[in-house]
Amino acid sequence: MSQALVTVNATMLLPVLAPAVGAAVVLVVDVAAQHLRRTHYLLALASLAIGAVATFAGLGRAAGDARQTLCLPDGGQCMYAADAVTSALHLAALLAALVTLLLSWPDDKRQSSGSTAVIVSLVLSATAGATAAAGARDLGSWLVALELATLPTVALVALRGARSAISGAVALLTTSLVSFGLLALAAALWFTATGSGFLTSAAAQLVVDDPARRPILVLAVVLVVAGIGFKLSLVPFHAWTPEAYDGAPLPIAAFLTSVSKIAALAALLVVIRAIAPLGAAPLTAIAIVAAVSMTLGNIMALRQDGVVRLLAWSTVAQAGWVVLPLAAVSAAAVRASGTYLLAYVVATILAFAVVAALVQTRGAARARDLSEYRGLLHDHPVLASALALALLSLAGLPPGVLGLVAKVAALRPVVASELWWLAVVAAVNAVLGVAVYVRWLRVVIASPDAGQQQARQGALVNAGHASPDAGPDGARQSALVNSGGLASEAGPDRDPPVGARPNKVGSEGTRAVRAHPATLVAVGLAAVTLVLTSLSPELLVGLLGR
Amino acid sequence: MVILVLALAIPAVTGIGLIIAGHGSRSFTEGAANLVSLGSSVATAALVVAAVITRPVVDQSWLPSLGVRLQFEVDGISAPLLLLTAALSVAVVVHARSHPSHGGSPTTFYGCLQLVELGALATFLSRDAVIFFLSFEIVLIPMWVLISRFGDSHDLAARKDASGRFVLYTVLGSTLMLVGILALVQAAGTANLDDLATLHGAGMDRSTQIVIAALLLVGLGIKIPMFPLHTWLPPAHTIAPTAGSVLLAAVLLKMGTYGVVRLVVAPLPVGFGALAPAFGVLGVIGILWGGLACLVENDLKRLIAYSSVAHMGFVVLGLSSGTTVGLQAALFANVAHGVVSALLFFLVGGLKERWGSADLATARAALREVSPRLGFALVVGFAASLGLPGLVGFWGEFLAMYAAWSPAPDRPEGLMRVLVVVAVTGTAVAAGYSLRVLRLIWSGDRTTPAHEDARGGEWSVLAFLATAVLVLGIAPGLVLNSTIKDVAAITLEVSR
Repeated sequence: MSQALVTVNATMLLPVLAPAVGAAVVLVVDVAAQHLRRTHYLLALASLAIGAVATFAGLGRAAGDARQTLCLPDGGQCMYAADAVTSALHLAALLAALVTLLLSWPDDKRQSSGSTAVIVSLVLSATAGATAAAGARDLGSWLVALELATLPTVALVALRGARSAISGAVALLTTSLVSFGLLALAAALWFTATGSGFLTSAAAQLVVDDPARRPILVLAVVLVVAGIGFKLSLVPFHAWTPEAYDGAPLPIAAFLTSVSKIAALAALLVVIRAIAPLGAAPLTAIAIVAAVSMTLGNIMALRQDGVVRLLAWSTVAQAGWVVLPLAAVSAAAVRASGTYLLAYVVATILAFAVVAALVQTRGAARARDLSEYRGLLHDHPVLASALALALLSLAGLPPGVLGLVAKVAALRPVVASELWWLAVVAAVNAVLGVAVYVRWLRVVIASPDAGQQQARQGALVNAGHASPDAGPDGARQSALVNSGGLASEAGPDRDPPVGARPNKVGSEGTRAVRAHPATLVAVGLAAVTLVLTSLSPELLVGLLGR
Repeated sequence: MVILVLALAIPAVTGIGLIIAGHGSRSFTEGAANLVSLGSSVATAALVVAAVITRPVVDQSWLPSLGVRLQFEVDGISAPLLLLTAALSVAVVVHARSHPSHGGSPTTFYGCLQLVELGALATFLSRDAVIFFLSFEIVLIPMWVLISRFGDSHDLAARKDASGRFVLYTVLGSTLMLVGILALVQAAGTANLDDLATLHGAGMDRSTQIVIAALLLVGLGIKIPMFPLHTWLPPAHTIAPTAGSVLLAAVLLKMGTYGVVRLVVAPLPVGFGALAPAFGVLGVIGILWGGLACLVENDLKRLIAYSSVAHMGFVVLGLSSGTTVGLQAALFANVAHGVVSALLFFLVGGLKERWGSADLATARAALREVSPRLGFALVVGFAASLGLPGLVGFWGEFLAMYAAWSPAPDRPEGLMRVLVVVAVTGTAVAAGYSLRVLRLIWSGDRTTPAHEDARGGEWSVLAFLATAVLVLGIAPGLVLNSTIKDVAAITLEVSR
């Protein structure tokens, strides 16, 4: 027994190992030295950073150029492979987890040290699951990794202890179990059809010409789409999403919308790449699911009055966009799907980070209510600009060029395979999506006191009618009134609208609460990433290879 | 190369800078913002003129993974539109000196104007189909902000509706256009607009061409706007501030017709040929529909918006004829409408401010009596609008009808001639509504309630545009000679 069972290249496995080891170390440290809080976070950030750096070697490689390890001896198949798409998803998952941790940075008053260690290690294990799912090439580790990415999130949602959190966690748990059942069945069918425990195209190739086994494989793939559909929040497997997002603490919702989605898509891409020889049959299912998800997600998002629920429904719609390119079979489609997911994750994390910062400055109730965002641009110009950029990127409009480029990338494979109906459905949904985000944006950029302004405007107009000669003068008056806060300072004799806003922070003598520096760092990181990738989208698109 | 980069960088930096500065410090006054954007617009205009003369080329890799290149270039077709955009960008800033914006911080207002200019220039300059689409989208959010923040605030619900409608319609149009562009690029194997034009649809079968052309025409038809996709335009124009209306009518609508020439007529001759009759019919319906609406419309801004629909109908008719003359007519009418609608929207914006509304039913002082300068500009504007020979409006419409009377061989001659007959009726309607407006607000001898005449910036802008209406009407060759070479390159193949 001199020969090892499998080859192991630890450097290549670092994106998985680093967060996993980090999770263990955090727990050990917590046992050894209690009452630590920041140490856990610093350890976690370090392990995520190490994992992220380790992905650099795999980024931007040519298609088909995969680094493999955990290979069976004698040139056998490998259980772990990372091509450019995998590495890019690794990087995104690790960085998204990092931002999530920054968002949940311990406040002196909020948490006990015990729960800190638990939260940190749960986040790290779920991240390890996500990166492992992206690299796994055999059924066993694929399934286990996918569950490792999911189950800790149930605990993370539940930890808040509120009734809504518990119901969110229960929804998530039930979904995960059903999803696991479907995926386990799919894995069994895959093995039945191919006789191989590996998720490779070589395995699928064997079945293509066999009329008896082909339907079994098709069924397996449909079950995979369904099982992953739960995790990606695709309609009709989406119902848990608003519940869980709304119940979870905000940083955990951000985690669900980023790392969990990356894990799910990465796992789906493993299968999609393997079945490339199979042809179009299962992919029609993806096309339909994509079309329905976008439409329902957008329509429901249009009706929400809470921003977290709005973001949850928009996740459903965006998940449709993420799998849209997969309706066409090609390496380009896999890259396009990855591109869209990464662009979505950058923008949505920024949106969540801004909401988290507002929770800290204005309180949870106000930060979660859409109507309370009125005049945000006036009250918090920097945060509001970051939010506006995130929303525009999600909507796919300049200056959020990244979102627009992602839409271009996602539509290309669809158009190339001449799925016209799907392209038109996507175009209509681009409009619905814009309606969703512009609805929020409109509130953000509105003047802080539009309601009162309307009444005043009416009075002014009547005055203007009475003496038309004073036209330009009246115009200047209304300019003063319109500029809201400025007006009260410029002309104290005019009734100051600012003072009439009783519950704005800072105007009422309440102490001005500032967001935690770690949260602001998270906002900054996400915002800088979004700005840079909007100026030069190649920075992001190029990661996924050519 | 430096010229083009600067021509795009200056409005971009100024626009973003103004918007950020406005929120950073409160000391940035209206006057300072105006001065900064005036400097930026004038510098950009100078650079555009230089670019039109020297014809520089930019070709820079931007998104190699998707094969997108930053390719910018000036040619005969885009040159008049670039000059129009640059000139009007200066004009709106000059005009805003005497008519300040209200509704939000002035820096945001001027910043948005700069960004609209950026998007329009980039659209007309770009030679890469995907960059064309991106540039097309740049104007959206700034224009939305202009309408929703700085628009007419008498009726906030109407403002919300108008701005929302504008952005949603336009996004639908541009996303459909994107699908068409991606299909075109996929089928032709290149994203370069010049290569696409040279290929003339080689290697694409008829049905593919028709599908792609249909997607593009519907998408761009919303922007043009073409009947029945025009319903976003009247509310947007009615609500938008003067500068917004001017840029919307004179620049943004042009992007639609320009896109049809670049993306449909040149690269997809067979597909466009098959759809041209339907395209022409819709155009002519637009002429009549817009004209009839103008006959009964009582809101002056809305009336001019409907007249835009009618004018763009002539552009559509010219395009659908498929001949060199028709294409020339369309491009000329495009520019002509830019000048005339800019003149009219400046004028009406000023009047609305003086009157407090733009309602025609209210009795006003006759412009002829109380404000001869405004009156003169109004007469010139509406005379051009009704297509009086010797003014700029005449050539585009006359040539479009001429071209449609003897269309390209693959067009149904009988149908096209019927369309011409209907279009002629449309010009009669145009005369009707133009004279109606003149009768209501220009003629007469009422002198109350008096209002002041145009002075300073407003008058110089009106005078400049009125001069342009006269000069281009007398010497249409200024535009036609610029476009002829590139147009002939497109249609020689089409009419074969």
